[in-house]
Amino acid sequence: MIVGQQKPFEEIWGMVKDFKKVLVYGCNTCVAICHAGGEKEAEILASMIRMKAAQEGVNMKVGHAAVMRHCEPEYFEPLMDEVRTYDLVLSTACGVGVNFLAQKIGNIPVYPGINTTFYGAVPKPGEFIELCAGCGNCILHLTGGICPIARCTKSLMNGPCGGTDRGKCEISQDVDCGWYLIVERMKQLGRLEDLVEIQPPRDWSTSFHGGPRRVILEHLQDFEEKEEKKA
Amino acid sequence: MAKAAEADIKKEVPPIEKPHEIPPNWEPNVLAIACHYCAFAAADLAGVMRLSYPTNVKVVRIPCTGKLDYIHILHAFERGVDGVFVAG
Repeated sequence: MIVGQQKPFEEIWGMVKDFKKVLVYGCNTCVAICHAGGEKEAEILASMIRMKAAQEGVNMKVGHAAVMRHCEPEYFEPLMDEVRTYDLVLSTACGVGVNFLAQKIGNIPVYPGINTTFYGAVPKPGEFIELCAGCGNCILHLTGGICPIARCTKSLMNGPCGGTDRGKCEISQDVDCGWYLIVERMKQLGRLEDLVEIQPPRDWSTSFHGGPRRVILEHLQDFEEKEEKKA
Repeated sequence: MAKAAEADIKKEVPPIEKPHEIPPNWEPNVLAIACHYCAFAAADLAGVMRLSYPTNVKVVRIPCTGKLDYIHILHAFERGVDGVFVAG
């Protein structure tokens, strides 16, 4: 899932203070799980903005709403008429949601209420860890299911650097050395020898280095869209 | 090292609340949120015993303090309550 963190309140206040009618718009999927931008957090943030406005003597109406997903129009379109009655939408969805809503909404600004951080797993309540970098060219079968791109600080492909320190990374004792984990995992699998093979330089064009990415499944696209393409 | 840096960052964050001077003779308006099974029962017993408590405290009974959410407390503050006392 996508992990996000709410922006500092002062930054949010700086964004919203000049608007008269603000909607704090939550997304109830990924960012709700990481307690950053679901309906509950949107309601709390709306309440905090109302109190700050009252303290600062700013006349502002602040509402809140949430939909299941901001990344699919089916979920937010039923609410669009109501959303368009506001001067500003402060979206607590991930960056995808903010971008997508901004494309669809028309002349109303959509501002981000959270910082979108990474794709993560939830090892235990209250902890979120980055395990995949979405590089577009998966090599997990070669590294025992542990990603050297996401979990090695330098994204090295052929073993650890000199900064590995008793299983930890040189950047911090709180960060595991990704390559230490890979070696231990390969030992466990009895496939340590596989790591001897040298990996050639990677083609990063499948990652963001190749520009914004797009996946098209023609068989799922609407017939009309296909016709438009042909025309 | 990292923790010290983190503490410095926390120090730099300005308070959300705008500080203001407290006028003399001011009394806070307090909302007490009490669990039905313990704290509210205690308040009830205090009533039976004819014990008095200040009039600036209002007691609200909830089924369990586990049901209490941040937003309930924030709503109380929005409506002008100065302090919330949660007992359960």
